[in-house]
Amino acid sequence: MRKDKSVKKKPFRGDSFTGWLLSTPYLLFTVVFFVIPLIWAFWLSVMDWNLMSPDRVFVGLDNFISLLSDRKVQAAFWNSWRYLVPIVILCFISGLIIALLVSKMPEKIKGLSAVLFFIPYLTSGVATAVFIRFIFSYNSVLNVFLRNKLDIDIAWFQNPKSAFAVMVVLVVWKMSGYYALFILSAIEGISEEINEAAALDGTTGFQRLIHITLPMIVPTLTTVIVLATGLSFGIYTEPFLLTGGGPNLATTTWQLEIYYSAFTQFRSGYSAAMAIVNAIQIFITLRVINYLMNRLNHRFGW
Amino acid sequence: MRRKKRIMQITLSIVVVLLLIINLFPFYYMIVQSLLPWDMVDKTIAPSGFSLRSYAYLMGTGGTSNPWMWIRALVNSLAVSLPTAVISVAVGLFTGYSMTKLKQFKGQKFVMNSLLFQMFFPAIILLVPKFMITKSLANNYAGMILPLAISIWGIFMYINYFRTLPDAVFEAAKIDGAGSLRIIWNIALPTTKSVTTIVFLSIFMQRWSELMWDMLISPDIRMQTLNVLITTQFKPMGNYPGPMYAASVILTLPIIVLFLCFSKYFKEGISFMLK
Repeated sequence: MRKDKSVKKKPFRGDSFTGWLLSTPYLLFTVVFFVIPLIWAFWLSVMDWNLMSPDRVFVGLDNFISLLSDRKVQAAFWNSWRYLVPIVILCFISGLIIALLVSKMPEKIKGLSAVLFFIPYLTSGVATAVFIRFIFSYNSVLNVFLRNKLDIDIAWFQNPKSAFAVMVVLVVWKMSGYYALFILSAIEGISEEINEAAALDGTTGFQRLIHITLPMIVPTLTTVIVLATGLSFGIYTEPFLLTGGGPNLATTTWQLEIYYSAFTQFRSGYSAAMAIVNAIQIFITLRVINYLMNRLNHRFGW
Repeated sequence: MRRKKRIMQITLSIVVVLLLIINLFPFYYMIVQSLLPWDMVDKTIAPSGFSLRSYAYLMGTGGTSNPWMWIRALVNSLAVSLPTAVISVAVGLFTGYSMTKLKQFKGQKFVMNSLLFQMFFPAIILLVPKFMITKSLANNYAGMILPLAISIWGIFMYINYFRTLPDAVFEAAKIDGAGSLRIIWNIALPTTKSVTTIVFLSIFMQRWSELMWDMLISPDIRMQTLNVLITTQFKPMGNYPGPMYAASVILTLPIIVLFLCFSKYFKEGISFMLK
């Protein structure tokens, strides 16, 4: 757009003033609830302080050193990767399957079925926990059925493996339909002509899936994997309500341990140090995943 | 060939229906259990009896220590989630607009970098200091709303959306002498309907389901949101599954209904979430 300079200047004259004015709410919130807490968090991490007492002791890196030998911290650290792998893989697979199935539905019911798959995403983890807790209680219809008909007797939350599996299934159930929406919108973006041309060449549906659909939606699949990675670091509500991180720390997460150490043991400096280590782990993990996904994207010419 | 295609279509539809049944079973189960007489709860999956006792229990005054505890919690949830969603949308609109449509805004780069910087930090790192800052607002709506009020994700949704809108419209309005607030209200807001719907509903839903912060900042049972009240009653009410199911239904249904009402905006908005 080329205009005379004096004309061009006029509508933009107040831009800086307006810009700062419009950004003020964001900046205010950011200073109060991000910048100050962030600095405070780093300061806390080298302190020994119980949130209330007037004496705060500078302890240097002691908090970080004690983290290393804390069983709970170790569990949180390893669990976040233990959660990550099945959650990312299962969310990816089930999201993809749902999206592919829905994309094959007749136009009229496509939208409706996508929305129905999406509903679990809207559910508060608290409501899910209520359902899971009662349906897995000893005398529930499910456990009575399993005991009497199939002779299976599981104390779901006393066994580390089954407790962990329940957490993973809950997260995957909640998120699959949400990720499917992204994948579906990418699949819908592929032009009909490519598929039709390939069909005329006598390809099977499966071949078209492998050679056309999947390569065309690689960027979206990348987004889904990155989102699911971030998500698996934020698990909190379900283990908090159902297992408290147990049995034997099998289902614990960073969020849970940070919460407990800050607000039930009142070790605020220690928990700030924990949160920093957690942030570093998230950062590195996301970096690695991004690197891998970039290479994959590159291979498919994106 | 045609026949084969038809059989394929029917098989796929059956698979979809089966998956949907599995997917939505928890909701069916919760609703059925919340409507059963108390001696039947968790004993059957069929609606083999009907009673509103669980809901009546929640609606009741519920003893003298905490009258109207459940109703109050529902009101608290609304009183916290609605303003949060409104603030998020407003801040998103303002910031998104100034990041994209104010070409000579000198601080644009600074604000943009600040936004990008913020994305790197998981919220958990701020938990303790945020609590220290807000402690004096404990058991107060402001303490629940303000610290979680802005959403970086929401701001980026608006930035991505505004980038797709032609600058010419906004420039024309400016040349005509319209102020920025008028441009936002009269031009930006109406054209961003789909993004505004998604941001508003998503933030509302997230705030509605927030657990950790609300638990910390409002320990007083009279100020608890429904989400937190169910959590704190989880153990004491362990022998009364009926009302717990009913409370879960009340917690879940409003959000689902809201989303279903606005689902037509979703398809359009999803493409902006990807960027």
